[in-house]
Amino acid sequence: MLRDVLQAVETAQGPITLAELSRRLNIDPGALDGMLQHWERKGKLVLNSGSAVACNMDCATIQCACSMGAGGACCPFVARLPRSYSPANGTAGVQANTE
Amino acid sequence: MFTADMISIDRATVSVALAGNPNAGKSTLFNALTGSRQQVGNWPGKTVEKKTGELSHDGRRLMITDLPGAYSLSAYTQEEIIARDFLLTERPDVVVAVLDAANLERNLYLAVQLLEFETPAVIALNMMDVARRQGLDIDLHELSRALRAPVIPTVARNEEGLREVASAAIGAMSEPTRPFSLDYGPEIEAEIAALLVEIEHSPSVAGHYPARWLAVRLLEEDRDIISRLARLFGGMALVERAEESRARLFATLNEDVDLMIADRRYTWIHQLASRVLRSGREDQVSLSDRIDYFTTDRRLGIPIFMIIMWVVFKITTDVSAPWVDWIDGVLSGPISRWALAALGALGLEQSWVASLLVDGVIAGVGGVLAFVPVLLSLYFALAVMEDSGYMARGAFVMDRLMNRIGLHGRSFLPLMVGFGCSVPAIYATRTMTSRRDQILTGLLVPFMSCGARLPVYVLFAAIFFPGQATLIIMGLYLLGIVVAILVGLALQRTLLPATAAPGMVMELPPYRLPNARSIRNQMWLRTRAFLQHAASLILLSSMVIWLLMAIPTGRQGEFAATPIEDSVFARVSAAVVPILSPLGFGTWESGGALISGLVAKEVVVSTLSQTFGTEMEAAGIAGGSFLADLREIITSFMAAVVDTLRALPGIIGINLTGEDNVAAPGLASAIHSSFHASSGGHAAAAGLAFMVFVLLYTPCMATIAAEKHELGTRWTLLSLFGQLTIAWLVTYVVFQIGVWWGG
Repeated sequence: MLRDVLQAVETAQGPITLAELSRRLNIDPGALDGMLQHWERKGKLVLNSGSAVACNMDCATIQCACSMGAGGACCPFVARLPRSYSPANGTAGVQANTE
Repeated sequence: MFTADMISIDRATVSVALAGNPNAGKSTLFNALTGSRQQVGNWPGKTVEKKTGELSHDGRRLMITDLPGAYSLSAYTQEEIIARDFLLTERPDVVVAVLDAANLERNLYLAVQLLEFETPAVIALNMMDVARRQGLDIDLHELSRALRAPVIPTVARNEEGLREVASAAIGAMSEPTRPFSLDYGPEIEAEIAALLVEIEHSPSVAGHYPARWLAVRLLEEDRDIISRLARLFGGMALVERAEESRARLFATLNEDVDLMIADRRYTWIHQLASRVLRSGREDQVSLSDRIDYFTTDRRLGIPIFMIIMWVVFKITTDVSAPWVDWIDGVLSGPISRWALAALGALGLEQSWVASLLVDGVIAGVGGVLAFVPVLLSLYFALAVMEDSGYMARGAFVMDRLMNRIGLHGRSFLPLMVGFGCSVPAIYATRTMTSRRDQILTGLLVPFMSCGARLPVYVLFAAIFFPGQATLIIMGLYLLGIVVAILVGLALQRTLLPATAAPGMVMELPPYRLPNARSIRNQMWLRTRAFLQHAASLILLSSMVIWLLMAIPTGRQGEFAATPIEDSVFARVSAAVVPILSPLGFGTWESGGALISGLVAKEVVVSTLSQTFGTEMEAAGIAGGSFLADLREIITSFMAAVVDTLRALPGIIGINLTGEDNVAAPGLASAIHSSFHASSGGHAAAAGLAFMVFVLLYTPCMATIAAEKHELGTRWTLLSLFGQLTIAWLVTYVVFQIGVWWGG
């Protein structure tokens, strides 16, 4: 099952939704999420946590109006996007980690 | 050796650990069981909250510990480490595994790992009410039989099943059943058996850990357990033995053992869930999934996205238009008059100070502030899209499009942020794991139309395309995306060769009704950013431009009294006129606005207001008394309210307002006349060309600095000259087509 999940993500032509993958593999969406997390832990998939990306920036270096965000939001233009997983293979950062 | 026999039975006090996935209702169950008898602190050395409580039941005292929510006991996260350490070191008498009945298959993974600890266990099948509402029927008897543990259905928030859980916990401790054991297949089981023999011969190890659990963890190459064993007598020998076992299994199965073990657990759980779960409903597809069937469809997704964006721009242009008029009227009329009257009282009415205030500050900053309603409307629409969950679908369909140009799944976030502001978008590219993807995304971000360009579009669309403003503005946003796609394709065929198109799985949140507070917060945060920009950079730019317009180039002019066309600003701006002439807007006013736009795109509007505004000031500023001004402000405010209400039906295509008109009549006619003259009578074509140039040329200096920081000097220079070249070429084509079309 786990191999099927990884293979399905790696061979997907472009993005697919978790619900779509769940239907395709006939796996419960919750269980499938757990399997994706498993592969993330193994370093085979990369978790893209949308809302955290822009907030992790060093605001002091940004010359636009990024420093006035309230409630923990650094930049008002941060897009809150959902979690996604993408294959880690073939990317420079992951290659460097595994070398 | 660690066995169930070691647990003392018939004790008056029973220690119970509550374990479960996050959001399984574990804390609700804990609160319901312990009531007010709780102690709250932190786990030693951690920032994670530790809660313990008591319960008296059937003459026993249950000491309950609420373990942090975790999805597994693999010791990857802080919560998992805490939960596992507690089970290993504190050795509770009973573990209550709290499972979300509506999400059983996911929750069973942790349950299986808990059961493998060989500690007496009870399964609290929580949220049964939710499961029932979803039409799920769970075979509790079969589940209990398979897991070798009592299964108690509960609804913790209604305090249902609490007594049964407490009784089952006491019962599990008093009458332990045969420990749960999952069959990992003959090859792995043979190695587990061999390791069990080794563990039995290492008393110091056997006394610390449940034997079978330890054997499985060693085969899974659990780093934490291996480092713990290294500190025990005989532990290293066991670690080396496990290493040999793993090597043998890999040679036999041609697969990592930890993967085989995890896969076996998932497969067993999937089979168990298939046996015990029955759906009472034929159709288990949620409403969100049904909507997503259309919104994320390969053919329908993009058209639906376009329709929604059309509505967004309709709201942005039509609904905000009356308020743009109102603010502009108030600033250029009563506010300017009051400022001049105040200066008159000080004897400065005819001085350069008055010119600085009216022609510089009010015309420049006010020209931009008038567009605050436009941005408020845009941010409102975007916040509704985000909060309802549609933005995620929009990102999904757009990502599919971007994927075709070889962009990584991670690129969509910087590109989406780029619609707000290019600077954070460039910085967001640093999260890309591939340098090639970071550079490609960073080069494309400037083509995403940032919020600062919107006032230019709104102003020019109202002047040159009244009635079609929404279409024009949406078309500009789309043109930015199309140019980005074409540039991306060109780059991947030349400087940045494409790698294999990667897949991506996106978890789309369910749709929900937007929250008013959340929308208000988002609107305010983004609008405040714009206002702070206006109060700092735009104010400073307006004053510098006024200064340049006040300094004469000839000997005859006087400071702040020279004809504007003889000013330093006009002369410097005229240097770019030959470049802009083929584009239809070869005037020093347009050139000056575009040059100053390099500071920030909002400055394009403020500069135009300043350059064209000086000719209109006399008409605008002449007015009546203070009371008459107040009456004018209130009357025009009421008119704006009425016009807004009349504009609302326009969102669904019912036009009650006539043509869009958000530009001050004097400024609009001045710009129109200038473009008419510079384009040889093709004002509309030149106006559209100007908007296209603003869309495609360098966003601002802060973006260039961000690109240099993230991409390096070489790529920044390429980006800068590339954008200018592309902007000129595309604008030229647009203008020529416009002329040919008869614009």
